[in-house]
Amino acid sequence: MCDPEEAALLRLEEVFSSTLARINSHLLQPLLLSTPEPSDLWGWECLQLLEQLHTSSQRLWEVTEENLHSLRERLRHPDSVGLESLLLLHSADQVLQAHLEYIDSYTNCMVLKAFQNAAKSKIKYWRAQRKVVLQFLSDVSSQNTGGPVLGHALHQPLVHHVQQYVLLLLSLGDTVQESHPARQLVVHAATLFGNLQSYMRQALDQAEDTQALWSTLSDRLRNELYTPARRLLQDSRDISVMVSPLRADRVLLFDDALVLLQGYRVHTFDLKLVWVEPGKDGYTLHVLTPEEEFAFCARNPQGRVVWQWKVTQAVCQALRGKKDFQVLEVGPEPPEPPSCRCVAYTFRMGGRLCQATYEGEWCQARPHGKGTLKWPDGRNHVGNFCQGLEHGFGICLVPQATEDKFDCYKCHWREGSMCGYGICEYSTDEVYKGYFQEGLRHGFGVLESALQGPQPCKYTGHWERGQRSGYGISEDRDRGERYIGMWQADQRHGLGVVVTQAGICYQGSFQLDKTVGPGVLLSEDDSLYEGTFTRDLSLMGKGKVTFPNGFTLEGSFSSGTGRGLQTQGMLDTAALPPDPSSIRKRQLGLGAFPVESRWQGIYSPFWDFVHAGCPGDLQEALLGFHIQSSRELRKSQEYLYCDRNHSKDSMHSIEDILEELLKHREPKALQQYLKKALSNSLHPLGKLLQTLMLTFQATYAGVGANKHLQGLAQEEVKHHARELWAAYRGLLQVALQRKGQALEEDEDAETRDLQVHGLMLPLVLPSFYPELFTLYLLLHELEDSLYSQGITHLSLFPDTKLLEFLDVQKHLWPLKDLTLTNNQRYSLVRDKCFLSATECLQKIITTVDPREKLEVLEKTYGEIEATVSRVLGQEHKLPMDDLLPLLIYVVSRARIQHLGAEIHLIRDMMDPMHIGGLYDFLLTALESCYEHIQKEDMRLHNLPSRWNSRELW
Amino acid sequence: LIGDTGVGKSSIVCRFVQDHFDHNISPTIGASFMTKTVPCGNELHKFLIWDTAGQERFHSLAPMYYRGSAAAVIVYDITKQDSFHTLKKWVKELKEHGPENIVMAIAGNKCDLSDIREVPLKDAKEYAESIGAIVVETSAKNAINIEELFQGISRQIPPLDPHENGNSGTIKVGKQTTQASRRCC
Repeated sequence: MCDPEEAALLRLEEVFSSTLARINSHLLQPLLLSTPEPSDLWGWECLQLLEQLHTSSQRLWEVTEENLHSLRERLRHPDSVGLESLLLLHSADQVLQAHLEYIDSYTNCMVLKAFQNAAKSKIKYWRAQRKVVLQFLSDVSSQNTGGPVLGHALHQPLVHHVQQYVLLLLSLGDTVQESHPARQLVVHAATLFGNLQSYMRQALDQAEDTQALWSTLSDRLRNELYTPARRLLQDSRDISVMVSPLRADRVLLFDDALVLLQGYRVHTFDLKLVWVEPGKDGYTLHVLTPEEEFAFCARNPQGRVVWQWKVTQAVCQALRGKKDFQVLEVGPEPPEPPSCRCVAYTFRMGGRLCQATYEGEWCQARPHGKGTLKWPDGRNHVGNFCQGLEHGFGICLVPQATEDKFDCYKCHWREGSMCGYGICEYSTDEVYKGYFQEGLRHGFGVLESALQGPQPCKYTGHWERGQRSGYGISEDRDRGERYIGMWQADQRHGLGVVVTQAGICYQGSFQLDKTVGPGVLLSEDDSLYEGTFTRDLSLMGKGKVTFPNGFTLEGSFSSGTGRGLQTQGMLDTAALPPDPSSIRKRQLGLGAFPVESRWQGIYSPFWDFVHAGCPGDLQEALLGFHIQSSRELRKSQEYLYCDRNHSKDSMHSIEDILEELLKHREPKALQQYLKKALSNSLHPLGKLLQTLMLTFQATYAGVGANKHLQGLAQEEVKHHARELWAAYRGLLQVALQRKGQALEEDEDAETRDLQVHGLMLPLVLPSFYPELFTLYLLLHELEDSLYSQGITHLSLFPDTKLLEFLDVQKHLWPLKDLTLTNNQRYSLVRDKCFLSATECLQKIITTVDPREKLEVLEKTYGEIEATVSRVLGQEHKLPMDDLLPLLIYVVSRARIQHLGAEIHLIRDMMDPMHIGGLYDFLLTALESCYEHIQKEDMRLHNLPSRWNSRELW
Repeated sequence: LIGDTGVGKSSIVCRFVQDHFDHNISPTIGASFMTKTVPCGNELHKFLIWDTAGQERFHSLAPMYYRGSAAAVIVYDITKQDSFHTLKKWVKELKEHGPENIVMAIAGNKCDLSDIREVPLKDAKEYAESIGAIVVETSAKNAINIEELFQGISRQIPPLDPHENGNSGTIKVGKQTTQASRRCC
């Protein structure tokens, strides 16, 4: 069934549709016919707006027709076609939109007096058409002709039509039952068109005010301020305000901008970036904009309230977008506009941000939050801002002269400059990874140039205000040269060591990048040069050369290109070969670079972090971050994100790390925890270790693998273990503090040493082991080769002959272990006696932990004793007289390579607690075996003829 | 613990270490490495005793064992004149190459066999006096003078750290981990 309202609606639409058709043919078409003078810019503007009005009237007519069609369908088949099929109901928004468009284009024409102008230009035609025009008006009282009447004729039918809509929809709503499916739609449509009515009223009022404004402003100002859609909301001529400190004699509040006029000068402020705060005195209103701050001062508090209300409302509206007209229906208190907004803005005034465009989050007229700042020269900063300055993580691209090349800074920023950890990739393919302060490299950092570049070099070390300063390692890959030492103002300055590819090692003082004063140079053939040196490290002036055989040459030296070293001096051939520790095993750098301060730049940000209580937001800035690859980052730069490897899973927030830390304090759990933490590059301790490994490799790998640096390296490893334990303790204290628990007391030195050597050192040693062991290997190369000759000779002995040769007492020979096959004799069997001990000892190379190596040694002893006890059939305690020959036997059979390097590494890394104790004794015993095997009679012993005969084989 | 092979070095230590009940199960390496703690005044002295191989061919390895030692016990056999000669060589070497201020103690072992004595006690005493060493004739077999030998060493060893021992020596009595521990070979 159909309601009578539906029939009324049908009639309404029929009338409206024909009205629109007639308006089109009688009013709009003729209006569009006028052609203004080519110079009449405003005339052209009017024409354009009229064309838009025409288009929207067409659109409105089409929608009306569509609606009409749906009404007819419904009335024709009331049973099969439901109420909800009406366009007006199911697509009320679409219908509304057509109305809105029309009213907007209409008011756009109105503010420019488009109708008056058109009427004026064709005054005769419109006089003639007066009757036609008047028939569109319900109110015929107006005797005016021309523009105003024309205007009325173009909007009154619409107003009337909307009014009827509302009335019919409301009464339709009353008749439709509550439960009817279309009832909701009817109520919705009624509300929408009700709102539209008030919107139209307001739009017409604002258009009228705006029209009045445009016609009173000077041409110049009007040209500057006019936009078709702009409407005046408030004028200081109506409610006056004084502006300070900016001067303005008139303030105009438009729906999109706040405008201050001072003579001919115009200040326009985008409302999206206007924040207002009432002043304390009740008269003033503070206005904040990106580049200006000023205050409105009203005559009275009421004036202030009106302005505040209007501006606030306008800001809200500007932020929501114009079309959202419902906001006008909200009560007298406008909603507070959000203090944080997301807008793009181009800075106009001078200074750092001149011409730069910021797009992103704002708060109180300052960039605040995430955003992108782009300069016209292509410089580009994406990241976090705080109070208008770069703050927090950000990526900055700085284009370079050559096209497509730019410097890319991925850094932490503080108050506008780089501060904390950052990674910078320069257009020159140089990369800096390290710390900054006030925009300059400061603290620890690594600068590496491109491998293929013209001068490939790498600096790993300390910086001060942008310059290399303090302890640092630089490598010149072209020259194959590495400098390890002190820097100042970007130059080598102070004590330093140079190692070269050729195995030359120099130690001396540097000043302004040059060697000064006496130095020592160790060549690969173990000659020692003492004296003063030239830049390319050849002796100059008085000096002394000590050759490996002990000969010395003392005199004055000179060298020229291609002439070699020239000298006049005394050659002393009487001296004995020098003490190995003075030349062959001389250690450089010891004492010159105290291990405590050597890598301070790595530890100090960590301690800053701990002393600040481990704040999560400083974690990255202080502890650094890792990025997978640079290509990935350049892509992500556009998306404002930079995956800095701090994966989202909560495992790695500092809170969780500290929580975990507290859960694992018992020795066993602690050991497991530390092991995991140190191998996790996201854990503060793991990060530290990773950086330390980098520096260790930068110093001692490659060219730095030089035996004269072993001392430096081993004290560095031990120091790192100490520092990492202290770092763990630091984190523990923070974790306890956060829980409000009692802090741990400082450990005494003894407990600390126990933890450092028993717990930390074995955990960190594997990270440094390859480089460290190589240094031991090189240092003990000579002894190891003698030892290995000894082993080779002894390996020719059958077991019984070797036992005899080593003077092992016969009753200790484990002949039971020798099972003979046919044709075999005891004297021919090899590698059978003390096999269990031999195999046990061989395990010493399977671990890097010195304590485990010592345990292997102890077990080996146990195996020897067990074998002897078995042979004797009773428990037997071996005195050294018996033990040492047996141990030599086992060592020679175990054939461990580089035993000398092993022994010395164990001794250096051994817990000092063991000094003098069981382990020390065992290690000394092993070392004495090692020494003994090197001896001449062991290596070169002419085997007695009966052993040497064919029988042996 | 230095001396010719067969003079009874290990026996002396074994006797010293095993004769008395020790509360701590000390780690040992057979008869080659032993520990024992003895009271001395207000302090506890822990002896870490390293044996050395007495064979002539291993003499050159001895420095590895006595470096870092606080005291050396040099043993000879009173029934073998040769062993006393060797002892003199050891003393000379220790004087020249041994650690500074090493306490030397001369033990003439096997005093139970004084009837076949070859080295008169007088000779040993005179020699010891000339080098400022402790001298004592011992018998590991009959446990004669063993205790006295080590007590003598204890008394001669300077405090490890005068400061530490001066003010806290009494407190530390009985605490195994903090006593002055010294090596002895």
